[in-house]
Amino acid sequence: MGTAAMLPAAMPDILARPDIWRGDRLAQAPLPTVASGCAALDAELPGGGWPRGALTELLVDGTGIGELSLLTFALANIRQGGGWSLLVAPPHPLHAPAWAAAGVDLARLAVVSPASGRDALWAMEQALVSGAPRAVVGWLPHADARALRRLQVAAVTGGALAFLFRPTRLAVDSSAAPLRLQLAGADGQLAVRILKRRGPPLAATIRLALPRPARLRRHESALAGRPAHRQPAHA
Amino acid sequence: MNPLWLAVRLTDNPPTPSLVCWAGRFTPRVSLADSALLLEIGGCLRLFGGLDVLREQVAQGLTEQGIAARIAVAATPQAAIWLAEGQGDSLDALAIPDLSWPGGVAEKLTRFGLRRLGELRRLPFAGLARRIGKPAATMLARAYGEAPDPRLDFVFPLRFEQEIELPAAVENAPMLLFAARRLTGALAGWLNVRQAGLRECRLDLVHRQGATSLLLRFAEATRDGNRFERVLRERLERLQLTAPVERLRLVVDSVESLAGSSGGLFDEGGAKEGMAALIERLRARLGEERVVGIAPVAEHRPECATRQAPVGGSIPTATPPRPFWLLARPESLAEIAGRPHRRGPLRLLAGPERIESGWWDHEEGVGDVRRDYFIALTQDQRWAWVFRELKAPGGWFLHGWFG
Repeated sequence: MGTAAMLPAAMPDILARPDIWRGDRLAQAPLPTVASGCAALDAELPGGGWPRGALTELLVDGTGIGELSLLTFALANIRQGGGWSLLVAPPHPLHAPAWAAAGVDLARLAVVSPASGRDALWAMEQALVSGAPRAVVGWLPHADARALRRLQVAAVTGGALAFLFRPTRLAVDSSAAPLRLQLAGADGQLAVRILKRRGPPLAATIRLALPRPARLRRHESALAGRPAHRQPAHA
Repeated sequence: MNPLWLAVRLTDNPPTPSLVCWAGRFTPRVSLADSALLLEIGGCLRLFGGLDVLREQVAQGLTEQGIAARIAVAATPQAAIWLAEGQGDSLDALAIPDLSWPGGVAEKLTRFGLRRLGELRRLPFAGLARRIGKPAATMLARAYGEAPDPRLDFVFPLRFEQEIELPAAVENAPMLLFAARRLTGALAGWLNVRQAGLRECRLDLVHRQGATSLLLRFAEATRDGNRFERVLRERLERLQLTAPVERLRLVVDSVESLAGSSGGLFDEGGAKEGMAALIERLRARLGEERVVGIAPVAEHRPECATRQAPVGGSIPTATPPRPFWLLARPESLAEIAGRPHRRGPLRLLAGPERIESGWWDHEEGVGDVRRDYFIALTQDQRWAWVFRELKAPGGWFLHGWFG
């Protein structure tokens, strides 16, 4: 046996190995990713975007803080390759013109509205396992830790983008999702806290200026001055 | 291409029509012998990737259906049947009593002191034919390829309706899946031979009081047996049986032609099953109306700006039809018995589409518009766009031609 094989390799060589991960760095593209479209967010996500083949958990209370705007860039990106998106149990009916305007390919968008949470979980798991849709977005407020583990396994199997919306009170619970973000509205912007990622924890909150439907005014007197109930006079 | 015959010798029952249909998934040339099924596979070996793979697939398919059978491959049909019946790899080594002969021949040959087929073959044909009869001698000659052996191909039925009797009444719906596999397998084979696919088929669960019908729908025309089975599984898992089921019947009313699929040269990767397959599975369990697509509608009112669309269907922006020619001034039309007339009555084909807008400019211009528009066909076959004025004094007007 040659002595060279017995010698310990140089430390930098070991660190350069792809399967060695240092605790202070983000994991180096362990999974293929899809850019989120927000440079500030991409910089903090392992691999520089939303992971494919792993569950991404988004903790939000209610709707309307821009949680969908965060995803539409990725969903619009998917259409390049003719990929499908599937929405499972969305909390409200969809307004088609807005989705089309955001660049989502409506011809390749399917909406599943199951009657129960159990069916919703089943549908999302089936969709993820099949690998047929390139992105699956689910709203499963009642999904428990076991359900999340199932979804994570399904996401790994199918390799799709997988987003799961859940209420923020579940932030303290354990979750099988490798990436967890807590979203909140903040002064017209979207405040993103990364609760969990493959890499060192991030204490800072990322503030994203998403495209908004209207400019935020300091003084709203111009709009607030009119009574809301006034009807235009017409006979 | 040299013909090659694969014989499936059933140990328990004679071949059923559904089994013959199932065999259609491998080759369109299937023929029925007394207790065996003969598949001419010389032409399709390349397609399946060689004899071993094909043989394995046939064997696996039989096992999945719970059918006990022995398989043998030979260059002539008779040899294939005999090889499936006897023990041994070559014709010469087969024991004569193991094989099927015309009545009494096997005993006669044993009395001659002949044990193996090889010994029999060395005897002169003419003498042999005199002693054991011409049919038996011809069988021998055919097995060795010394006499032609034309086989009649099975004619696949034009309409698919197959029924199987369950060995015992089944009370639990998921347990039907195993039995139904014979039918879905037969259906896939039949569709393969016909080069057709289907969008829906009906499975009747026949019990003593009548039958429960399950309509299986598919998102696109398909002939994939696995897809039939997956959709069926979702339906059966949810089904409460009202009475024990005694028979299963699978009926196909309409098929459409579907060309064969071509495999990708490169691994396209990703999707293990198509989106259509996923959607039909979700629908089978959750209900048709729960899996939809959406499409925008050119409409100001937000509530109406979205409509449900078939998933993945070509989604045109659903603008209501508008005529190419718009008259400078709407032409007033006579109204007779509530219908507009213009050199004869107009046939209203579509509508009404209400247009109600412009209340803000009633001073000049077009003004406040409140109309119900219709598409109408005139007596001289012209397509017209007409409206009924809703404001007083009302009346019918011609507003455009579709050109």
